[in-house]
Amino acid sequence: MEREDLNSIQLDALREVGNIGAGHAATALSGLLNRPVGMAVPQARLVPIYDLPQLYGAAESLICAVLVRAEGDFSCNLVFMMEEEKALELADLLVGAFCCDDEEMLHQLRDSALSEVGNIVLGAFVNSLSAFTGFPLPVSVPAIAHDMLGALLDVIVAIYGISGDVALVVQTALAVKGIDGELGGHILMVPDPGKLPILLGKLGVL
Amino acid sequence: MKPQSVHVGMAELVALRHPALLVTLGLGSCIGLVLYDEANRIAGLVHIMLPDSRQSRNETKPGKFADTALPALLAELNKLGASRSRLKAKMAGGAQMFNLPGSGQGLLAVGNRNIEATKNLLAQLNIPLVASDTGGNKGRSIEFSTETWVLTVKTLGKSVQML
Repeated sequence: MEREDLNSIQLDALREVGNIGAGHAATALSGLLNRPVGMAVPQARLVPIYDLPQLYGAAESLICAVLVRAEGDFSCNLVFMMEEEKALELADLLVGAFCCDDEEMLHQLRDSALSEVGNIVLGAFVNSLSAFTGFPLPVSVPAIAHDMLGALLDVIVAIYGISGDVALVVQTALAVKGIDGELGGHILMVPDPGKLPILLGKLGVL
Repeated sequence: MKPQSVHVGMAELVALRHPALLVTLGLGSCIGLVLYDEANRIAGLVHIMLPDSRQSRNETKPGKFADTALPALLAELNKLGASRSRLKAKMAGGAQMFNLPGSGQGLLAVGNRNIEATKNLLAQLNIPLVASDTGGNKGRSIEFSTETWVLTVKTLGKSVQML
């Protein structure tokens, strides 16, 4: 089955996957930060892979992204990404109290906090996916990167590119109440090539 | 004459006559490969995403895969009158942005496979690779000018490199 062929019932089912996953992720993040976390209604759609980065911003905008890999029957990569500035603000909500003069130490503390945020958010997402599909999906440790949006999404686009020119995007956004304004983040679920039909089969919509 | 500045997106390839400025922003695991003929003042850039079209089910854009990108770029350069034997290559990209333990193989390490495939193809085609900045774990923005034949590589937190 090619991704190009997904029908509206399948897209609805995948949107529901995003909805449940993001709901669990929001609850987990709220618990970690002890703040309310909202979520936007997820969207599931097919986009040409070449347009995927533009959904999230300009190619050179600075982004902090945390990636974990889930192995198992429905192996996939999951990414939690935030604008760099907002990521630093979020990190300071967690480690601000330990603020120190040592720049390098502060940088490491922030990275460690953000990796943990990504780990908790994506872990909650995968756990919910695992619970309702019955697939054991063991998750890797998180990998964090700070770089240009286009560069970070290159590998994601390449993974979709192996199967075709269209990507399934389940767009889920979380919003944390920050000190001024909101601190948003996006979750991306990127199935390994050929794995999407396995999920659709389990959801009963293949 | 002001050079034409052209952005080359993922899987695209562009070949132009002097004066031209070929630009690609935010390269991660992808490769920006420039082939140029200084004497005839012609250059082309291709933005390669994956190493090998044979692992894929459909190929719509030749620039997407290293093995289809090189012949397609050579054909475009040839149309403009470039001399095959005068072509030189410069390339950048192929980073691994996310470093999980054990991810030196597999899907996340596509950058390394892109570098290797592109270098092998250049060697097979006898096109000298005169400069490159590849690998690592940082993204790059690149620019190639037919004024200077220099490939400018910008990386976050590093000084600009002129290759």
